[in-house]
Amino acid sequence: MNKRRLLFRVGAVAILLAIAACMMVIGRGHTVYVDNKTLEYNGESYKAPYRVNVYVKGEQIARLAARERGMTTNIGQRFRMTLGVIEEKGGDEKMVDVSLKLPYSMDGIILNVPGYLANLPQEAWLSEFVSTPTEAEMQDEEIPSEEEDLLAGEF
Amino acid sequence: MKNKITAGKILSFVRDNSVPLMFVLICAVCIPISGFSWGYLINEIVTRMGRNIFLILALLIPIMSGMGLNFGMTLGAMAGEIALILVSDWQIWGIPGVVLAMIISIPISVLLGAFCGKILNMAKGREMITSYIISFFMNGIYQLIVLYMMGSIIPIKHFSIKLPRGYGIRNTVSLLNMRQCLDNLLAVRVSGVKIPVLTFLIIGVLCLFIVWFRKTKLGQDMRAVGQDMNVARDAGINVERTRIISIVMSTVLAGFGMVIYLQNMGNIATYSSHSQIGMFCIAALLVGGASVDKASIGNVFLGVILFHTMFIVAPKAGAEITGDSMIGEYFRVFVSYAVITVALIMYETKKRKHKSQNAQQLQLAQEEADKHE
Repeated sequence: MNKRRLLFRVGAVAILLAIAACMMVIGRGHTVYVDNKTLEYNGESYKAPYRVNVYVKGEQIARLAARERGMTTNIGQRFRMTLGVIEEKGGDEKMVDVSLKLPYSMDGIILNVPGYLANLPQEAWLSEFVSTPTEAEMQDEEIPSEEEDLLAGEF
Repeated sequence: MKNKITAGKILSFVRDNSVPLMFVLICAVCIPISGFSWGYLINEIVTRMGRNIFLILALLIPIMSGMGLNFGMTLGAMAGEIALILVSDWQIWGIPGVVLAMIISIPISVLLGAFCGKILNMAKGREMITSYIISFFMNGIYQLIVLYMMGSIIPIKHFSIKLPRGYGIRNTVSLLNMRQCLDNLLAVRVSGVKIPVLTFLIIGVLCLFIVWFRKTKLGQDMRAVGQDMNVARDAGINVERTRIISIVMSTVLAGFGMVIYLQNMGNIATYSSHSQIGMFCIAALLVGGASVDKASIGNVFLGVILFHTMFIVAPKAGAEITGDSMIGEYFRVFVSYAVITVALIMYETKKRKHKSQNAQQLQLAQEEADKHE
């Protein structure tokens, strides 16, 4: 193999690896759970507002009363949302822009709104959501047999 | 005299295009019986074109190099599936997930393609049956990897993918987070019909690549190998290497095609998605008028339209005629196998006819030469 061909091949592999690495970062999906729940931290209590409206990309994805949880998905590490916070019934909606970097290793992330609004350290208002398998997920499955392949199915 | 020539031309057209014409007839009978609206039919066909054309285009390169219909494309489909399972477990969503799956499928496809190509070089003249059996053999290895190695040796994290026993992959892996991401980006609606523009652009790029590739040195080598291996070898072409490259290219493209196919479907049937893909792609190509030694991009498009029209209307038409939809289901599988059989018989008949014509010409020439002496 001549040198030029080898260089070309190594270059092609390097480019593919670079694209793959890039995709791993920009395509990492996270499920973000937004909690409007009273938070206890360092012996202090941070009360949940009366209502929180959650907007992502200009669209309202949740309308949370106290003790409620909303959910959205996000691709990439940069997460932006706008919270419309109504502290008390009949009060004005105060808009708060939220922009944060999501941890790469976490699939599901819980954000506590009262903790975030109180400017507490990240560990207080950001935690990992660990899902437990459902009953259906714990049931064993039968692998399809050859005979079932006789039908075309969807193509 | 003129009428005779026209009749001869029509007869030869019918003879050369008997499979597509037969399908046009089947569709013409089944469409009204099925009762589907034209809007629904067109929408379905356009969706299926976006889903399948890339996979079927992967078959063109081995045909160019004289290796016939590559049943070994199933190997590429398996590579695409393994890549998608990994990407799904790593939670890479959307278009980046599709691109990453394609990149991951490349080394697996190259390895499998090179293996397949080497074996096919040992079985020259019997490539199709050999590749068909290789795909069965590889299915066993695929099941070993997916059923026993994933989760135990290859790390798999998520419950939704892994079997409850702790290793092995579930029957169905959801691709909800990348479902139709290619099809929906830049999609336009024309009188209720969704046209997946980006998918068609990707298919267009592949078509251009194939047209360009035919004109390159390697493409010309493949065509030379396809026409006559001995002449190509005498001309200094490395026949074995060229054949391996063509199978590797086909397998890699089949891997990409499978990723496009599955992102459209939105889930992977882990143990069966790939099993019949080769057969259906080959059937679709043959329905488009291709043969074992000649296929074009036009055959791919025509084949997908005709084959999928039949695929959509057959179950409903079967149910309307017999009262049992299963008849229609079996009918479309029967037709798929039948079309491959008919195409292979026609190819063999044509080859023999051509051979006997050549022999006759040679005999005549010999007699002429004897007379002169």
